[in-house]
Amino acid sequence: MAGVTPPLPSFVCERFMLKIEHLTKIYDNGVKALDDVSFEVPDGQFVAIIGLSGSGKSTLLRCINRLIEPTDGRILWNDIDITSANDEELRLIRRRIGMIFQQFNLVKRSKVITNVLAGRLGYTNQFMSFINHFSKEDYEDALAKLERVGIADKADNRADELSGGQQQRVGIARALMQDPELMLADEPVASLDPATSHSVMKYLELLNKEDGISILCSLHFLSLARTYSDRVIALKDGRIEFDGPAQDIDEVRFKEIYGEDAVRVEIE
Amino acid sequence: MWGSRSPETARRNLLIVIGIAIAIVIYSFGIDQTDIDLRETQDETRQTSVTRALRELLSPDIFDQDSESQFAAVSMQLRCEDDGAASEITAPSGSEPTVVVVTGCVSSGDVITVEGFNFRPNTPAVLRWIPPNGESRPLTPVGTTDIVFDVDSDGHFATQVTVPRIRGEDEAHQIQAEARWGVGLPFASDTTHLVIEKMIETVLTALMATTLAIPIAFAISFLAARNLMKQVSVPAGNVFVGVILLPVGWILGTMLYGAVGQFGVELGSGELFNGATAEAAAPAVLLLLASVAGGVKRRQNVAGTGISVRLRVFGLNVLMVAVGIFVFGVLGGLALTASEVLDSGFLATFGNALGTIGDIIELTIVGVGGLVGAVMLSSFSANLVQHTLKDLRGIESHVAGFVLGGVMGAVILGLVALFGTQGALLGLFAPVVTAILGAQAAAALYTYVFNVDKRAFNVTKTQATGRLIASIVGAVIMFVIAAEMLDLSRALVQGRLPAEDTFRFFGVAFPVRSFIGKAMLMGAILSGIMGALSGVHESIPVGMTIYNGSRTILNAMRSIEPLIMGIVFVIWVGVGPFAGVLALGLHSIAALGKLYSEQIENIDNGPLEAIQSTGATRLQTIIYGVVPQIIPPYIAFTLYRWDINVRMSTIIGFVGGGGIGFILQQQINLLQYRDAGVAMLAIAIVVSVLDYMSATIRERII
Repeated sequence: MAGVTPPLPSFVCERFMLKIEHLTKIYDNGVKALDDVSFEVPDGQFVAIIGLSGSGKSTLLRCINRLIEPTDGRILWNDIDITSANDEELRLIRRRIGMIFQQFNLVKRSKVITNVLAGRLGYTNQFMSFINHFSKEDYEDALAKLERVGIADKADNRADELSGGQQQRVGIARALMQDPELMLADEPVASLDPATSHSVMKYLELLNKEDGISILCSLHFLSLARTYSDRVIALKDGRIEFDGPAQDIDEVRFKEIYGEDAVRVEIE
Repeated sequence: MWGSRSPETARRNLLIVIGIAIAIVIYSFGIDQTDIDLRETQDETRQTSVTRALRELLSPDIFDQDSESQFAAVSMQLRCEDDGAASEITAPSGSEPTVVVVTGCVSSGDVITVEGFNFRPNTPAVLRWIPPNGESRPLTPVGTTDIVFDVDSDGHFATQVTVPRIRGEDEAHQIQAEARWGVGLPFASDTTHLVIEKMIETVLTALMATTLAIPIAFAISFLAARNLMKQVSVPAGNVFVGVILLPVGWILGTMLYGAVGQFGVELGSGELFNGATAEAAAPAVLLLLASVAGGVKRRQNVAGTGISVRLRVFGLNVLMVAVGIFVFGVLGGLALTASEVLDSGFLATFGNALGTIGDIIELTIVGVGGLVGAVMLSSFSANLVQHTLKDLRGIESHVAGFVLGGVMGAVILGLVALFGTQGALLGLFAPVVTAILGAQAAAALYTYVFNVDKRAFNVTKTQATGRLIASIVGAVIMFVIAAEMLDLSRALVQGRLPAEDTFRFFGVAFPVRSFIGKAMLMGAILSGIMGALSGVHESIPVGMTIYNGSRTILNAMRSIEPLIMGIVFVIWVGVGPFAGVLALGLHSIAALGKLYSEQIENIDNGPLEAIQSTGATRLQTIIYGVVPQIIPPYIAFTLYRWDINVRMSTIIGFVGGGGIGFILQQQINLLQYRDAGVAMLAIAIVVSVLDYMSATIRERII
C-alpha cells in the first residue's frame, strides 16, 4: 500500500498547498543546514522526511513555520509567502500549521487539559489569557480531542505523570486544537518504543486519511516511512538526495542516503 | 625527558614564576596596608577590656528578678586629730546587720578594713561611700576588679577598701553595705521585652521589603532573560516610531488615564461628593463612552488587518483600558474609605493597611496611566506604520530612515540629557550615550563603505576587526566632542548643573537648557546617519538592547550596599523601619531580578517552541510556556531572599533603618554589653530558625 496515492477529496486534487523554493539556511556559526531545497506538497499528502542526524530535517520543518528564520528562498503556503510575513501575519499562518516534537514539548507542570487548550491560543484574545480564560466551546473541544487520542481520563493529570506515548498523544491533541491544514512532525516517535511508535504513527495516519490534514513527518526509520507515508524526501547534508515513493529506495539509494557503512535496521 | 622540554613548557613555567612574584608583591602590600599587627592583640589593657566585654556579652540580661536588700552603715570622721592606734574590732552584740570599720579616723588614700556582721549568709554584697552631699559611689575591694563580694555562711564579711579622694573632709562620711538577694521567679527583663518588640519589627521589615521587590523583580526578570529577548528583533522603522512616541504616549497617558484613575479614586473615597467639580465631567463622559465601546466591541468582534479596522480596534482598546484603570482607581478609593471606617479597635490594623494601599494607588495611578499610555501608543503606532513603511523601496526607505532615526536620536538624547540636569554626575550619561551611538554609527558606516555582508557568517575576520576598530574610534571621537560641547568638566570637576537659559517666543519667556538642545542635536545627527544607512526595513535586535540595558541597571543597583541605600532613605523618609524597607526592597529588586532572570534562562525551551508554533503571541507564550516552569524556583529564591533580608535588616538599623540594629547600636555605644548580648542572642536565634525553615520549604518545593 505504500507509495500508492491515497484517494483524496476531489476539491483538493492537484493543488499544491505548500511550495518550497530554493530554501537555504546558514546558521550564524557558518553551518549550512539547508542548501537550495525545493519541493511541493499537494493537499492531503503524507510526506516522510528521512536522513541522518544533522542532515537538516529539523531545520527544514522549523523553517516552514519560521521557528527558525530561513536565510534564503521562499516558502509559499496556499499562495501566501510565509518568509515575508510580519509578526501578525505569521501568527495567523502558524495557527493553521500544527507541530509535534520529538521531546513532546509539553509544559510538564501544567495539567493535560491546559496543555491541549494551549493549542487554541492563536485564536484567543491575549488579555483573556492573562486570567487563564478559554471559552466553553474550547474546553469541550479539548476534551473531545483528548477522547479522540484515547486519553480523556487523563485530562486533569499533570503532564509529566503520563508515559511517553501518552504525552505524544497530548501533543497531537494540542496540535489538533489549532484546526490545522498542515501538520509538521519532528521525529515524533524517536523517543518512543516500537509498539508505542506504531500507535502514535497510526494516529497521524488517521488525521491524514480522515481529516485530510497534510503531514510532513521526519523519521529515522525507513520502515516507518514505508508503512505510513505516500512519499519520501531524503535529505543529505542539507540537500535533497531522493524524492519519491518509499518502495523506490533500493539498496543503492539507501547507501547514498545513509552512507556506505549503513545497515538497515527495521522497526516492526 | 628534559631534552624534550618544549618552548611551550618553558613559557608556562616563566608565567608561573611571574605569577608567584606578583602574588608576593600584592600580599606584602596587603599586609602593610591593613595594619596587621599581632602585638596589638597581646596588649594587656586591651585584653582586659575585651575580656570584660565578652564576659558581659555572654551574660545577657535576659531575666530579671524582684529583690530584697539589707542595709547597714557606719559613720567616720576624716582628718581628725586623734590618730591613735587602730582599735580592735569586736562583734556587735545585737542581731541587726552592722558594719564596723577598724578606725574612725582616716584620710584619702588610706586602706581600711571594713567588717560586717549579721548579714544574710551567702549573699552578694557591695560597699558604697556616701559623702555628706549624698552622692554615693561604689567601693571596689582591694585586689579585685569586681565590686561585688560575698557574705560568708556566718553572715560576716571582712573587706579592705581604699578611701576615695573626697571633698568636705571635715564632715562625717558614711560607708554603707548592701546585701541583695532575689525573691520569687525570674521574669523577662525590660531589655528582653524591648528586644522582642524590635525583633518582630525586624522580621516584618524584611517581609515587607521582599514583598515590595517581588512584583517589580518579576517584571524585570523577563526583560533580563537572554533566551526570551534574543529572538525579539523589529524592523528599524518600527523601532524609530515606537521610541519617538514613548514620551508622547507617556504624556497622553498621564493626562487621559491619570484623570480617569483619579476620578476613580475620588469616587471610591467619597471625596467627589464633598465638592463635585466640573473637572470630573470629562472623565465621566469618557467612561460612559468606554462602557458603550466595550459593548460594541463585544457585539462586533472586530477582526481584520486594514488600517481603519486597526484604528478602531486601538480606539476600543484605549477605552477598555480606561475602564480598567478606573476600576483600579475605584478600588484604591474604596480602600481609603474602608480605612476611615475601620479606624478603631481590633480592625484598626487592617484599616491602616488598607489606607496605605489606597494611598499607594492614589499616588501611583498617574504614573501607571502614563506607563500604560506610553506602551500602548508606541506599540500600536509601530504596528500601524509598518503597513506604510513596508512599501517604501530604495531611496525612499533610506530617507524615511534618516528622518525617523534622527528624531528618535533626538528624543533619546533629550531624555538622557533631561535626566542629566538632575545631578552633576548624571550629566555624564549624555556623553556616554552619545559615544555608544557614535560607535554604532561608525560601525554602520564601516559596514556600508566596505560593503560588509550583514549576515554574521559571511563576515571575514579582517572585516570584523575593522568594524570593531571603527566603532571604538567612533565612540572615542563622539565622547570627546560631546564632552566638549556639553562642558563635561563643569559636571565632573565643578559639580554644577547645566545652566538654564531663557528663550523668548512672542514675548513669552520659556526656560530652556542649551545642554539638552546640544545633546538632542548630536543624537539626531548620529541616529540619522544610522537610519539613513539602514533604511526602515533592516531588523534591529531590540531584545538584546533591552536585555543589556536591564542587566546593566540590575548590576549597578546590586553593587550599592543596602546600608548605603539606607543612609539615603533615612534622609528621605526619616529614621525608622520604613527607610529600612525601602533600602532592602530596592536592593532586593536588583538581586531577585538577577536570580529570577537566570531561572528563566534555565527553563526548558521546548514548550516555548511548541506554544509559539500554535500562533500564540509573545505574551501568551510567556504566560503558558514560561510562567508554569518558573514558579517553583521563584518561590524558592523569594524565600531565600527573605532569609537574607532578615539578616540584613538586623544591621540596617545601624544607619537608622529601624529594627533591632537600631537598639543594638545604642547599647554598644553606651557600653551596655549585657543588653547588647540579649540583642545578639535574639538575632542568632531568629536568623538560624528562619534559615532552617526556608531551607526546609525550599527543599520541598524543588
